[in-house]
Amino acid sequence: MSFFGFDTSLPRDRGHQSTAPGFGQTHDPFAGLSQRNVSANDEVLDFEETYDGLGDQLDETDDAFNDDTFGGEPANQQSVGKDFDFSGQTAQIADTMKEEQMLYAARQPPQRQPSPPKKSTRPARTGYEKYSEPTYIPELQANASLWGMAPRQPSQDVTESYHRKHSEAVPPTSNRKMMSLEEVEAMMRAQNNLKSTTPQPAPQTSQPQPRVEQAQLPIIPPQQGPHPQGQFPNFSGPPQILQRPQQLSEQRFQQGARPPPQGDKQNQGVQHAQVFQRQRQAPMELVAHRSQHTSTPPGPRRTPQPRQILQNPNRLSGHGQPIAPSLSRPSHQAHLTGPMHARGPSYPGAVVTNPQQLLNLSDEDRAAFLAEDARRAKRNHKIHMLSLGNGLMTPQDKNFITRIQLQQLVTATGGVDDQDPEAALTEDFYYQVYSQIRGAARENPNQPANHFAQTYLFQTGGRYGLAGRRHPRGGDNHMQRMEQQVQRAVEAAKAKPKNKQLVIEGSLGKISFSNAKTPKPLLNLKRTDSADVRPSSAGRRPSRHAAVLDRKATLRDIENVYSDLMAMEDHERHLPPPLNENSDPESIQQHMEWRHTIQDLNQKLWRDLKVMEPIVPNSPVPHPFIAILSHPKGKKTVPRVFRHIDEQQRVTILTMIVVHLDTLDVVRNALLHHDEPKLSRMAREEVELFAHSVIPSLFSYINEAPLTIVIGLLGLVLDRTNIQNLVRTKIGLSILTMFVSRAEIFKQSSAPGDLTDSDWEQWLQLYNKLFDIAEPVLPYIFPGSVNDTEDVYVWQYLAAMGVGASPEQQQRLVLGVKDRVMETVNVSKALPPEIAATRLGHVNLFMRAIGLDVELLG
Amino acid sequence: MADAEEGAASVGEPLDLVRLCLDEIVFVKLRGDRELKGRLHAYDSHCNLVLGDVEETIYVVDEDDEEEETVRTVKKQSEMLFVRGDSVVLISPQAPS
Repeated sequence: MSFFGFDTSLPRDRGHQSTAPGFGQTHDPFAGLSQRNVSANDEVLDFEETYDGLGDQLDETDDAFNDDTFGGEPANQQSVGKDFDFSGQTAQIADTMKEEQMLYAARQPPQRQPSPPKKSTRPARTGYEKYSEPTYIPELQANASLWGMAPRQPSQDVTESYHRKHSEAVPPTSNRKMMSLEEVEAMMRAQNNLKSTTPQPAPQTSQPQPRVEQAQLPIIPPQQGPHPQGQFPNFSGPPQILQRPQQLSEQRFQQGARPPPQGDKQNQGVQHAQVFQRQRQAPMELVAHRSQHTSTPPGPRRTPQPRQILQNPNRLSGHGQPIAPSLSRPSHQAHLTGPMHARGPSYPGAVVTNPQQLLNLSDEDRAAFLAEDARRAKRNHKIHMLSLGNGLMTPQDKNFITRIQLQQLVTATGGVDDQDPEAALTEDFYYQVYSQIRGAARENPNQPANHFAQTYLFQTGGRYGLAGRRHPRGGDNHMQRMEQQVQRAVEAAKAKPKNKQLVIEGSLGKISFSNAKTPKPLLNLKRTDSADVRPSSAGRRPSRHAAVLDRKATLRDIENVYSDLMAMEDHERHLPPPLNENSDPESIQQHMEWRHTIQDLNQKLWRDLKVMEPIVPNSPVPHPFIAILSHPKGKKTVPRVFRHIDEQQRVTILTMIVVHLDTLDVVRNALLHHDEPKLSRMAREEVELFAHSVIPSLFSYINEAPLTIVIGLLGLVLDRTNIQNLVRTKIGLSILTMFVSRAEIFKQSSAPGDLTDSDWEQWLQLYNKLFDIAEPVLPYIFPGSVNDTEDVYVWQYLAAMGVGASPEQQQRLVLGVKDRVMETVNVSKALPPEIAATRLGHVNLFMRAIGLDVELLG
Repeated sequence: MADAEEGAASVGEPLDLVRLCLDEIVFVKLRGDRELKGRLHAYDSHCNLVLGDVEETIYVVDEDDEEEETVRTVKKQSEMLFVRGDSVVLISPQAPS
């Protein structure tokens, strides 16, 4: 607390204000201006007047209070160190800290001396004085009442301020000492105790006052009644004043010290009276005016106080000069806590031409009189302020501009497309600020305001506050108008969606409005129309589009597979030297890592192959893995992939291929039709490529596969694919051949124990089923005409079937392909011997399988 | 490595799209009114290309006596072609027809 309690107005602290917003605080361009004005236009001023008095607070020769300022004890410093966390926890309680700061500042006896009354025409009152004061921080809740908030000026503050006044009055002359908050509090407490016993807490300052109170009590009351309440029509009422307890002390001083140009005589009288009083108290001071200039003695500073007692106790406390003795406090409190606009009790402004008259007043009455006087002074000051023109801009101007900005808020949000205008609004800067102002009822002081809203309010909120303070009614009107405008505008924006375009009749084009949310579109494409126009052709397009996308995705998959393959092959080259019994742990470790990596790569390859993607039956889009295989380079990966995958993965791939056998491009596109007996070159190449790259890999696996797997695979083929289409293609036949021959070979080569009867029974069932399905299309399984020489795979298939066929099935086989056999034999008679021998050899593959020979046909 | 490379393989830079055309039939437009159609075997960052089974089409503008321009095409077949990248105008994947 000590850190935040110390007086921040010390000049050396100007560079770093603990309470100033840490960021976003724009440099105040008028800060220097006002000061320059002071010195430039006021050569008459002596140094004291131009000097802000800050230097007086510096005790150059005495370091005794350094600890007070900077916290002497180590424990203190530690806590201080934590509190320095501005951006973190401290920022969350920034508001509270600010309030504390303001409170403390208010409690501190002001060290600056107001300029004398004769300087009232000084242009220093530009309305920007506050900005030259580095500690000036606008209250976030300053305008709370605007929005229906009760003025948060508890009556306790009043009492506190009085206490403070008394406490601070105790050291009258040696007031240079900067009191720490603890000291002040301690004094307050002491004061309380003291007060309970004796009404005169501070011997020096209060001594004359009790006497005055007692003496003047009877005089004033009669004068109170007759004076009309509307004496000061411009007075805007206490609420606004009370709302702004953290007024700038400097302004106060100026107000107090320099009576408005109208030169309120009574005011002067009061001042003089008080001055005289002080003089009595502090005979050390030679001249009243002189003492006003000096910063240390509290006496002269009291002069402005009385006016503000009722208006703003906090301010009063800031000056720390109690005019009203403690005895009168209760009545004052009643005024403050009661209905504030009831001006009845206010002192009607008895003409006090003589200081002595004032002294004769009762405490209550004098306080009321002083308060009234303060109001008058305030009003005069306001008039003065208005008449001055304030140089560049009046607060009204600023408010006006703010209103414009707030109007912009509406135009900048709530476009047609916004489904939720509220949501759009929340993004709006001005809306944020607006809601921040309106939502001043923050239940939790720790709840941080929006970051930028805080910044904004720190900077510009002060202007509202300033305006409100200076011209309470005008400022309030502006704010109210602003609020109403905002409300109306927001409602309007919510109610009807704004037209983004204006079509003027007869014009050729449209006028598009632009704002921050919806920039003016340079291209005006009618999307909805185009969507309507196209649906007829859209039926085709999406599929084609999807096909293109699909193709691209497949190509991408293939490239991924290639990348994986290259990575794996590269990794294989980095196989560490083989391990032996003497291998050191390091090489073992290397091996472990290598294996781990190869495992990872294998997993990645497996993923990229997309074999395990779920199978969607009847999907128009082929399975990703099958799509990969439909590309030549995809087919080429298979042999390389098979090198790097384990048995389980191979059988998975094989299963996948088998299940999708009739959707493979090499099967789908290789089906021969009567109108085009020959395959296209592309299809032929694909088939060849598949036969050379994929089939061998599968074959090598099948050749070592157990019968159960073959049974399972054949069962899948029979279940899932169209056999009659399959057998008319080279790839389909090749794979079927693979299975059938593998089963036959297994039967012949395996030891009797390996082959269980049930397995074989199962196989025979599948075989018979396959045979039955394929038999009707046997005449059509040959490619092209008889002259087509590339029919060896057919003969191979027939041979494989024939080997395992029963005699009855062999008969049916021969019947099915008899014509082709005979034709081939006849054709080969006309062929050159070598070719004829080859062709007859092919036929013989089948013939021999069923125990025949082409020679027999010859 | 895994995911990063996967992302890079998809669309990291423009040439990654060319990579997708590897071993596919591509259509290449060249400066000097030439077009190539063939299987892309290799490419590099300069767009140097190696194409196989290329059909080259050259567009020749003939001007006859009446100053009427007629475009004539010359076609050439090459089994393998190296194309220097500075003449490549565009590379387009050719959907299989």
